Amino acid sequence: MAKHGGWAGKVLRVDLSTGRISTEDTIEKYKDFLGGTGIGYKVIWDEVPIGTKPFDPANKVVFGVGPLAGTGAPCNGRTAVTTLWPTCWPKPLVASGHMGGHFAAELKYAGFDAIIIEGRADRPVWLQVADGKVEIKDARRLWGQGIRRTTVEINQQMGPEASVAAIGQAGENLVPMSVVMNSYSHSAGGIGGVMGSKNLKAIGVRGTGSVRIAGNKGEWEKVVKLHLSLLGSVNQHVVPNSPQPWAEYYGVTRWVGSRGRKWGAAEPSIETGECDPRNLNRISYRTNNAVFFLGEKAWQYTVRGNGCTSCPIRCHTMLKVPAVSSKYGIPAVGQNTCAGLILGRDFFKAFPDGPMGQTAIEACMVGMHLADDLGIWENYGQMQRDFKELYYNGTIKNKVGENEFKSYSWDKYEKGDPSFLFELLTRIADKEGELATALGLGTGYHLERWGIPEQEWQKDQKVAYWKMGHPKHHSNEDAGQCGVIINTQYNRDAQCHSHVNFTRNGLPIEVQKRLAAEIWGSSDAVDALAAYTPMNISKAKMAKWSLLRKELHDSLSLCNWMGPWIASPLKERDYRGDDSIESLLYSLATGDKKSREELDKVAERIFLLHRALTIRYMETKEMRAQHDTVPDWVFTDPASKASFTQGTNRMDKEDIKLAMDMYYEEMGWDKKTGSPTAAAYRKLGLGNVADELAKRGLLP
Amino acid sequence: MSPENEKHEILERTRNYVDGNHLFSRREFLLISGVMVVAVSSLEARGAKETPLIIMDQAKGLVIADPTKCVGCRRCELACTEFNDGKASPTIARIKVRRNLNFGPKGLDTGQRGQGNWGNGLVIQDLCKQCPHPVPCANACPNDAIVVSPTTRARVVDPNKCTGSKMCLRACPWEMLSFDTDTNKATKCFLCDGNPKCVEACPSEALSYVAWRDLTDKAPPRVIPTAVVPPEKAQTCNDCHKK
Amino acid sequence: MEQQEQIYTAIANVIRKSSETGQLVQFEEIWTELTGQGLLTSEADDQRPHLQGVVREVVKRNEDLREIPGAHGIAYFYSTQTLSETYAVILARKKGDPLELIAQIVRENSSVYPRPVPLDLFRESPFDLTGEEILACLDKMGQQREYQDIVQTTTSIGNKFLFSSRHLNPDYASTLAEWLDVGQINNP
Repeated sequence: MAKHGGWAGKVLRVDLSTGRISTEDTIEKYKDFLGGTGIGYKVIWDEVPIGTKPFDPANKVVFGVGPLAGTGAPCNGRTAVTTLWPTCWPKPLVASGHMGGHFAAELKYAGFDAIIIEGRADRPVWLQVADGKVEIKDARRLWGQGIRRTTVEINQQMGPEASVAAIGQAGENLVPMSVVMNSYSHSAGGIGGVMGSKNLKAIGVRGTGSVRIAGNKGEWEKVVKLHLSLLGSVNQHVVPNSPQPWAEYYGVTRWVGSRGRKWGAAEPSIETGECDPRNLNRISYRTNNAVFFLGEKAWQYTVRGNGCTSCPIRCHTMLKVPAVSSKYGIPAVGQNTCAGLILGRDFFKAFPDGPMGQTAIEACMVGMHLADDLGIWENYGQMQRDFKELYYNGTIKNKVGENEFKSYSWDKYEKGDPSFLFELLTRIADKEGELATALGLGTGYHLERWGIPEQEWQKDQKVAYWKMGHPKHHSNEDAGQCGVIINTQYNRDAQCHSHVNFTRNGLPIEVQKRLAAEIWGSSDAVDALAAYTPMNISKAKMAKWSLLRKELHDSLSLCNWMGPWIASPLKERDYRGDDSIESLLYSLATGDKKSREELDKVAERIFLLHRALTIRYMETKEMRAQHDTVPDWVFTDPASKASFTQGTNRMDKEDIKLAMDMYYEEMGWDKKTGSPTAAAYRKLGLGNVADELAKRGLLP
Repeated sequence: MSPENEKHEILERTRNYVDGNHLFSRREFLLISGVMVVAVSSLEARGAKETPLIIMDQAKGLVIADPTKCVGCRRCELACTEFNDGKASPTIARIKVRRNLNFGPKGLDTGQRGQGNWGNGLVIQDLCKQCPHPVPCANACPNDAIVVSPTTRARVVDPNKCTGSKMCLRACPWEMLSFDTDTNKATKCFLCDGNPKCVEACPSEALSYVAWRDLTDKAPPRVIPTAVVPPEKAQTCNDCHKK
Repeated sequence: MEQQEQIYTAIANVIRKSSETGQLVQFEEIWTELTGQGLLTSEADDQRPHLQGVVREVVKRNEDLREIPGAHGIAYFYSTQTLSETYAVILARKKGDPLELIAQIVRENSSVYPRPVPLDLFRESPFDLTGEEILACLDKMGQQREYQDIVQTTTSIGNKFLFSSRHLNPDYASTLAEWLDVGQINNP
């Protein structure tokens, strides 16, 4: 029986250079950082020297999960993968990706809270973790194979229940825009090349152990059921997208299940029905991301929902599109969610039958089939946006040689023929040709290589670029100044959903404002969509809360695409959720009782460490000026509407200056530099961090 | 009445109903003997000549599953173990989904043409059928540790009697027994005293708790059982079945 | 007064059962149901007003029961145990003029959330209008003064939305429609 509640108790450390395998005590060394990204940041801080590049053996990649992973807490399936980021431009900095599926749970049952991969193997290897037994195995026969074949072959060795996280040819070829993937469709972007640079083809995990719940099992059952009762659909939308008998509200949300809508490719088909939120046995029928993104046509192709261990939401959609077998020679069944689902469609400007037609669906199927096997990352759609922009403005034609340009079937591309993807994606994975190589670098290095100033991208709203080689991710279009602040804080796209899960949940603005007042102190924290008002302190509190909760989720193993749970679909609760769900679950699972505020302090410690890492690797304390930047397009409007008028998301430069002031003040950081002070670090137990930064002159 | 006498009386009553040469079908026997038959521990049957009564009451209920609705979330396994044992452990779970989740019950033999997440999506949920007589796991146990639950008549491992031989694991054609290495005892589905936690936990209504019916000849076995029935129990079979 | 209690309970049950199937119920239907159950001492027509009073008394006594006025002055009843007020209002309006139904929904959405409403919403249950019916309604509304505030806007992918100019200015409405239809999906 596990010694602790929640945590498995051990962190696995594998040095691929020497072959040395060792373990560390999670509680002794990492308890103050919980797990997930917390452990990742701590390892990078302690062990990876400044100047290390992502593909150097000195870089480390940390697969981390939290104390809640593997339990019955809803939505705990994500593994955080932390490393120095290959697409971070111009200088690699720390960042993390996340992958769902069943890997996180399996790792816990195998007895580990994290795996630290260091060094570089001298030939292709894969890591076998079978309960406590860990071996570095020869992967020469797997090298050159796609993710799918690699996974199946490792399962043959480890048994069908093993969870395999593998890279494809893209990662092997050190393409920065590459992923590691487990459980068929769950990927962590950006990681593939780092693993490839270490000659690590895959990690296979099989765990037959358990995760202990420290607290009273009856109490645990109550909290889990409370959490379930507060769930909405994917992204915690709490309002259905059409009038339902039980519902006071309805909206254009991701809660798409309703009477008459069926999983059409299930055999026999299954009605999704009214999905009354009080019926916890029908939670899975609320969501169908394929339908949300691809239109009503996707119902007939839906086999069922799919997703991570323990999550009732099923945000992945398994689709069966028989036509693609004969048309493209690919399996009729495919599955993914969100950006991964629409990866194929996003490359094309238009289809003959529109964005929600049959061709678009086929493009998605082809895209998933190729990208999820080759292991290509699209950087939240940025690769596709870059591609479209550069093609249609003539740059690609200029930059790649004439022979190479002719070797692509541009007529197919312009017509919206999905088979074009076979030409493009395979070459990206193999770095074949200038175009493929450039796209595979990530936007920052791509623009640099082609002599395009970053400014060009930063003034174009359409391209949705933010900074440092990555796109915006739920910024001002979703939550005004709060969204802008959040997007300045990371070294890749922000990947934060705390704020947008709330603003898009479908509740009327007055209800959102009432809930906002309870959480962030004032109803002024949120504005109606595209009707933003000037900055105020509550928006800064909302931004801080959003960021801290994202780190908390990424460290506990809770899905930030679903949480926090401050709103619920229940009229009897006045649509309130419960802002202390995380602390309730954490306290009972681990036996370490922490209130909401206390746990948020741990989250703040983790977030602060990320800040310190960024400062250290950038070798500057001028975060405000050099890191927390906002692209010009945020301050523009295509129809030149003024900021703070209805119908525009346009922000104001002075107002954003104030927003950053207020945010730094909320965080207790120095306003001029945007850097945490020594006191801010010490307050959260990061005195050693402050000392090191002081030595390097990196404190304000 | 002592267990031995009770057993005699039941057998007499049974024999009187039917001609001595008649070979009972399981159904006939159950109809005739009704619900008055009780499993008797071989330890309580004093006297070497007395053979234990191994006939068990039918269970009252059963959990059944619809594989076309399973979304592979495994909340059933988590509820089963967390809410009953205080730890999350799919390995011990008494409903088994993990082993079929990736490639289906036939495993990797079918590559990507099979079931599960890597095949056609179908997830087969393995459930205890609460077998009617003869109950393979109960019969195999050298300590008669598998008994009938008073509330649901589910077949339950009595942890006070289980000595961890694992014979029951080998006896079940569907491999539904679990072994808890923390307690060193076997465990199996006991229907949670009539309110199965897996049924309550399933978010896609794939599980139902229904009146018991015999599914043992309707589900293909996973393995050929390799358990040995203890000789004194085997002798008991002749009480009813010897010509 | 046992007879009276029996009738009160029967009335409440009729209303609740009807709500469970997603329907409102009116006096006539309650009258018919009670007659069928043999609960009325007299089935004479002159008992109707009396029964109406009784039904209202039942509604007053039961927390979950509500009355809602429908078209043509008909009163409807439902139970909030299974029907939300929002849904009941739609059901009540559905029995009347479809123009009024569409207009009220559009006005409410434009003021409460606020947001424009996709035209396709009216094909959904419980509106259940066909595409042709919706277009015919919009045609008629365009010609009637009291519906001049109901305005169409089309998104960049060709989907039509409706909003009320009483609550949303056209520019804002078209921005919101574009976000709901296109923006949300382009920001996955």
